[in-house]
Amino acid sequence: MAQRPQKKLFSRKKVCRFCADKELGIDYKDVKTLRNFVSERGKIIPRRIVGTCATHQRQLCEAIKRARHIALLPYSGSIQS
Amino acid sequence: MRRYETTFVLRPSLSEEEINSVIERTTTILTGSDGKIIELDRWGMKKLAYLIKKESQGFYVFSDYCSTPEAVAEMERRFRLDDAVLRYMTIKLNNDISEEEIAEATAQAEQKKAAAAVEAESTDDDTDSSTELNEDDDTDDDLSADDSDRSE
Repeated sequence: MAQRPQKKLFSRKKVCRFCADKELGIDYKDVKTLRNFVSERGKIIPRRIVGTCATHQRQLCEAIKRARHIALLPYSGSIQS
Repeated sequence: MRRYETTFVLRPSLSEEEINSVIERTTTILTGSDGKIIELDRWGMKKLAYLIKKESQGFYVFSDYCSTPEAVAEMERRFRLDDAVLRYMTIKLNNDISEEEIAEATAQAEQKKAAAAVEAESTDDDTDSSTELNEDDDTDDDLSADDSDRSE
């Protein structure tokens, strides 16, 4: 049986960016910030990967969906197109 | 009186006058029943993230105001009828807003506008589009680097 690849021992602790930086608000108009939390495909990146806390992830989801509605962010597809 | 903010997207083919008339009409509806406009900001022509009614660009207008629910419903009804409006979105910010708060918010918005104007004057060449292009280039480089690793 092939050996399972060992888990990375030193994974960096993820910190919620919005908790760390109180100045940074979540706003659907602020596309530049939201882009950081969306994959190249335009999907919302899950909490377990970006490490935002539950409260902020919820607000973030809402903001991204609002931005999508007024065509500031794509529903799908690469960012370039 | 409730506080709302509305962003709407207009067709890019409209002339300056037509854009002004749409904005004028909405503001008269909103201010009709004692409503007040706190901030009206023209974001201008922007690229849409996806096609809306076969348009790839849109003229964005953002407004922050306080008004009654009836006025908002009327405005949205007009938007739905108007062919010039591609998309609109209204968000309720506050259930209740007092006169003092309105004045405060208006002053804040004006301050922000003045600051933005000063900033625009100081930085001429630093446009948003150029930085975005740079980011795109970076991702391409990363992808090509990955490919070369695999081939080895």
